[in-house]
This record gives sequence, structure tokens and C-alpha cells, in this order.
Amino acid sequence: MSERVWIKDEGIERGAEALTPERIERTINAVLGNETGARLMAYVETCAHCGLCSEACHFYLSRDRDPSYSPVGKVKQTIWPMLKNKGKVSVEFMKQATQIAQTECNLCRRCVQYCPFGIDIAYMMTLVRRIVHKLELTPLYIQDTAHSHSATLNQMWVKDDEWIDALHWQEDELRDEFPTARIPLEKEGAEIMYSVIGPEPKFRTQLIYQAAAIMNVAGLDWTMPATPGWDNSDMAMFTGDSEIMARLKRAHFETAARLRVKKIVMGECGHAFRSVYDTGNRVLGWRMPPIPVIHALEFYWDLLNEGRIKVAKQIEEPVTFHDPCNVVRGRGLHEKAREVVRAFCKNLVEMHPNREHNLCCAAGGGVINCGPPFKNARVESNRAKAEQLKATGVKICIAPCHNCHGGLDDIIHKYELDMELKFLGEIIYECMEKPEAQ
Amino acid sequence: MERIYVFVSGPLAWIAWTVFVVGSIYRIWHLLKLAKEKEQVLFSYISFKYAIRSIINWAIPWNTNNMRLHPIFVGVAFLFHIGFFLILAFLSAHVILLEEGFGLGWPALPDIVADMLAFAVLGACIFFAARRVVRPEVAFVTDWTDYALLGLVAAPFLTGILAYHQWGDPLVVTLLHILSAELLIASIPFTRLSHMLFAPFTRGYIGSEFGMVRHVKDW
Amino acid sequence: MTRRHHALWLGALLGGMVLALCSAPAWSEDTVLKTEAFGTLRRPVAIFDHDTHNEKAGLDDCAICHHVYQDGKLVKDSSSEDQACSDCHALKRQGRQPGLREAYHGACVGCHKSKGKGPVACGQCHQR
Repeated sequence: MSERVWIKDEGIERGAEALTPERIERTINAVLGNETGARLMAYVETCAHCGLCSEACHFYLSRDRDPSYSPVGKVKQTIWPMLKNKGKVSVEFMKQATQIAQTECNLCRRCVQYCPFGIDIAYMMTLVRRIVHKLELTPLYIQDTAHSHSATLNQMWVKDDEWIDALHWQEDELRDEFPTARIPLEKEGAEIMYSVIGPEPKFRTQLIYQAAAIMNVAGLDWTMPATPGWDNSDMAMFTGDSEIMARLKRAHFETAARLRVKKIVMGECGHAFRSVYDTGNRVLGWRMPPIPVIHALEFYWDLLNEGRIKVAKQIEEPVTFHDPCNVVRGRGLHEKAREVVRAFCKNLVEMHPNREHNLCCAAGGGVINCGPPFKNARVESNRAKAEQLKATGVKICIAPCHNCHGGLDDIIHKYELDMELKFLGEIIYECMEKPEAQ
Repeated sequence: MERIYVFVSGPLAWIAWTVFVVGSIYRIWHLLKLAKEKEQVLFSYISFKYAIRSIINWAIPWNTNNMRLHPIFVGVAFLFHIGFFLILAFLSAHVILLEEGFGLGWPALPDIVADMLAFAVLGACIFFAARRVVRPEVAFVTDWTDYALLGLVAAPFLTGILAYHQWGDPLVVTLLHILSAELLIASIPFTRLSHMLFAPFTRGYIGSEFGMVRHVKDW
Repeated sequence: MTRRHHALWLGALLGGMVLALCSAPAWSEDTVLKTEAFGTLRRPVAIFDHDTHNEKAGLDDCAICHHVYQDGKLVKDSSSEDQACSDCHALKRQGRQPGLREAYHGACVGCHKSKGKGPVACGQCHQR
């Protein structure tokens, strides 16, 4: 395992050029002074420096237990000196803090489950990211997605007509298989608004196809918006750009409200779920989401239990299931997911640890979105995950999250795991009864 | 020396306990005030049920996933904390002091048990200190304050053991024992020993978030 | 209040005793307090050489230690040296009447503290 390299990123470098010690000090103190309170104080004062969070972190485990990658180690290299020096830290320090908080922590919150005091280290890393954002040090690639969010309200610079076009295209394709199927756009009063993340219309359109197939087979009253607000993803949440995050979530909820739907159903994305279900609503002042938000995993479970979809065949080969942090540690959907997996797959082989203790994909929390400069370090930093996957001896891994897919895909290649990744919807689409299909 | 003893065991003890009680109330009040002023939203995420669920699950040794990864540490840590409070409240000499001072009392631990517990607590302090040196992930986040806090906790137990076994001049040793204990008591609210005050809040809050919002165990 | 007043005197007494003890560390059965009423002891018997203590402390009035209480009030000019402490003081506190151990500690240590003389720490009397 190689030592940590301080990676050159254009966004960080250019941002650093414009920094002055005064600006760093002012910004840190503004964020820590105005935007934090009891929580940060209690966390910093309560931490016993016991190091028990270390083994929770896949970075630490993968980096040969290098303590500078442990959760508390990351706090020590970021928050502690900022507080101790009252914001007087160097440009170099801020560049390193950026790399640590933005690319060496996935905010997966596994360490929160390992801390005897329940200290939320992910929260502290988001604070660092907030400071980094205000200092304009955010890595280039993820900042680009945040810019896209700001300009288009979606993550991938998808133009308004491209979005509609992508849906029409998928509807056309769908009608080859299901002649009467629709992807209803702008249907006011529908029961369900289905929302996806920007990358789906951009390069994973088959997922929209499969979801539409499931909706049609299940005979649901659903719709998709034809306006901005269709994208539920949120990289601004991961760059500490709370203002953009609020705009995004507001557009999303307002779109659902405009369509007068009873609930929002989301595709298999983890971070978007975190944003809509947990974080974005809070930024807007909603204790819980103003409209019920149902993640795909729960949605599938509902359909299966209501008898709206039926199992036609099962996957014979053994499969394993990767629990994404944001819907498992973030929403407890692990058992429902397993029930669906078991319905469609003969043999589910558990990876260990699993469920709410599963190891992270190392892609989430905006880390994969920091792009190519950080890719090698990221993949090296998840050897632990590779070993965990390899130990299952299974060739199919179900990962119901886009970020997890990206992260696991990189790991599978790097560590030559000979494993195929699947979304759960993909399997359901393949194996469900399709009475009207041609 | 007797007059110093009278002062240390009398007025100074009152001062130490007052600092502890007033300081603790202040710290908790300040925490809640800070939350109310700047993070009022936190209160709407507190669920008594899930806070208690979390606290209980973390109060049972070897119950949580992480505790099972560190069985020895957990054994030592629980022994340390339980020993600390048992000795504080049920050591016969402490019970007698209460009887003398306030005319109230309760049953005391057998001396042999108390003695073993005291050695266990002292041993735990040494274990914690050694761990800070030996384990890289702990050493990385350790600074002098961590050793100072351990010393602060260990001192009353070391001098207590000396006093009980009458190693050294009884008056001097007892005096040092009381002094070091008073220093410890008074510093709890103002050092990271304040985890004694804050842990129920941090644990309860995160337990609520995990239980009520995220529908998942936090252990 | 009166009880405390008496205790002061006793303290002076015991204080002197300790000074004596410093030069004479060996003691016989006559130089320790009566402890039969306690049954099994948890600590070594407290050293107390009656005559030496009183001489050092300049105590003449027996009733300072050997007091008499009736209905919770001190009976003046009356003393109880013909009785054992445990005749009145039960092992456990009875209302306002201190238990035997509490009475001993109160009388000895209480007086020593108020006088600033004599043994005050546990191990000074209960020597191993």
C-alpha cells in the first residue's frame, strides 16, 4: 500500500492561489461561529481520543491501518487545529483538509455506529466541506456538478428538452415490448411521481426503461415531471453548498406538489435518497419530507407484498447483496431489500459484515464525483471492500445505488474480482411476470 | 498539618463539590442554551424512546458490534467506570465520612472487594495509558492532555490505595488523596472528563436520529 | 450543640494522646478503645491510652466524653463513666442518637478537627 499522496487537483490548486491567511481565518470562524453550536461543542469536548472509531472506516482498514485515515484521525487533521488555532491555519493545511474531508471520507456514518458516544464524525467532515466550499477549494469535478445543479437544477447539464426527449425515447423502446405502456409526463393528480438522478437520462437510460416497465406491469398511477425538478440528486449537499442544496430540494418538492402526487418514488440511488429524505428537507425547514419519499427498495417490497408484481423465474446463480449506506444505515431498508432479493434469487450469499454494518463502496459522499485525479487513491482505499466481496465467492453482486455501482465497479476491475454488478430493478425486470409483454 | 487536613477535608471539599455541581449544571445549561439559540431544530429530532434504547444498548458490555471487536478494552473500560463509581459511593471510608459529616449512611463494600476494585481502576488507567503508546490509531490522536486526564483520574486511586494499606505517612497520604480527588471532581465539568455530562446527550441524540429518522440500530 | 462542646474537650484530650503515642508506639489492651459491641472488626482497633490522652489534653471533666443524654438533651453535671458507650449507643443510629461508630468518630475526630490537634486521618488511629 502506497503512502498518502497529496493529490494535485485543478480546483483545489486554483482556489488555493486566491487564498489569504485572513480569508481562511475569517471563513473558518464564520462557519464554526455562525453555523455550529451545541453539537460541535459536545462532539469535540466529549471525544475521549480513544480511537475506537478506526475499525469502522474502510479507508483505515484498506490503508494498512494507517491512523491518519481513521475517522478521528481525519478530525484531528481538520477540525481540531481549526478550533485550536481559532481559524489561523495555513493554505497548505486547507488544501490537505480539503483532500481529507472531500475525498477520504464517504460520510457513510459507519463510524457513528462505532463511537461509544455516538459522535457524528460525518457531520464534522461536512462542516469542513462547508468551509472548503466557502474558500472555493472544492475539487474541480464535483464543483462542476454543483455548477450544473445551479444552472440546470440537474447534475449532468441535461437540457430541459433532452430530458423530455430521453423519456420519449425510452417510452418508444418500452412500447416495443409492452405495446400499451406509457411513461406519463406531467400527469397532475397521479399517485406517484417517479424521480431519478441526472446520470440516468444521461447514460443509464435502461434504468428508466426498467422502472417504467415495472410501473406499467404493476398497473400504477404514476408520472414523471417534464420540468426541472425531476432530478433528485444533490452534489451540492456533498460540497457543503447548502444554498444550492436548498434550491434543488425545493424545486424537487415543489414539482411533486405541483403535480399533486401522493408520494415521490425514487430510483436506486443512495445519496439522492439521503438528500430528499434526510438532509434537503431539513435545509428547507421540514422535519421530515413534506411529501412521503419512497426509495426503490421499499417500493419493490410494497409491490411484491401487494401482489402487484409476481415472480416468474428466479436467478439460479448465487448472488450477494451490498447494503448502501444511505438507504440502510440511513433508512433501515436492509430486511425489505433482502426479502425482495430472496424472492427473485434462489441463493443469497451474505457478505460480512452486512446490513447496517456493511463496508462502504468508497464512492459515495461525493468522493467518486471528485473525478479522475482521485480515482486511484479511492480504489486503493477500498481494498477492504474488495476482500469482503471476494470472500463471498459469488459472481453477481446486487448494489441498489448508483454511487455504489460506480465504486464497486472500479474495485472489481482493480482487484480483478470477476463479479457482475446489478441493480435490483434490473433483476426484477428480468424475472417478473410480464403478462402484456410481446 | 492537621489544620491543613481540616481545611482540605472541610471547606475545600465543599468548594470542589460546589464547583462540580454548579459547573456541571452550567455546562449542561450552556449546551442546551446553545442548542436552543443556534440549533433549535435538534430538539425536534429527539425521541425519548430511541435515546433510551441507544443508551441502554451501549451500557451493556460486549453488546454492540464495535465492543465485540475490542473485548479486552471493553472489559477494562466497564470495570474502570463501574469500579470508579462503586468506590466513590460505597467504599467504607467514604460511607463513614458521610456518616460523620451528615449522619447518614448506607452499606459499604467489603474491604477486600473495594481494594481489588481500586487496584483494577488503577490498572485500567495504566492499561489506557499503555494503549495510547502502543496502538498507532490511538497514539495518533493522543496529546499530553490525554495523559494528564488519566493522571488526574489515577491519582486519587493511587493515594487511596496507599492510605488504605497505610503505606507512607497516613496523614500526608490521606491529605494527598483528598486533594487529588477534589481536583478530579472539580475538573470534570471543564475538561474532556465532561463526557460524563455530555455522553447521555450525544448518545441520546444520535440514537434518536438512527431510531426515529433512519429506522436502524446505532450499535 | 452541647455534645459538640464536649467533643471539643475530648479532642484536646485525644490530641495529647497522639503526641504521647508518637514516642511510645507499642500499646497494650488498656490503650485501645472498647470494641466488643461491634463484633467482628473491619479495621484495627483505634489506639487510645486513656490516662496519657487526658493528661496531654488537660482534661479533668469526665463528662466531656462520658456524657449523659436524656430525651435528646444533655444532662448537666452528670457523667456516665460507669457505663460502656454501647449501653446507650446502638450499632445503628436511633433517631438523633448517633450509632456507636458514628459516636466514636464524632467524639474523637470531631474534637481533633476542631482543635486542629490529634489524629484525623483513618490510618492514624486504626493502625495496622
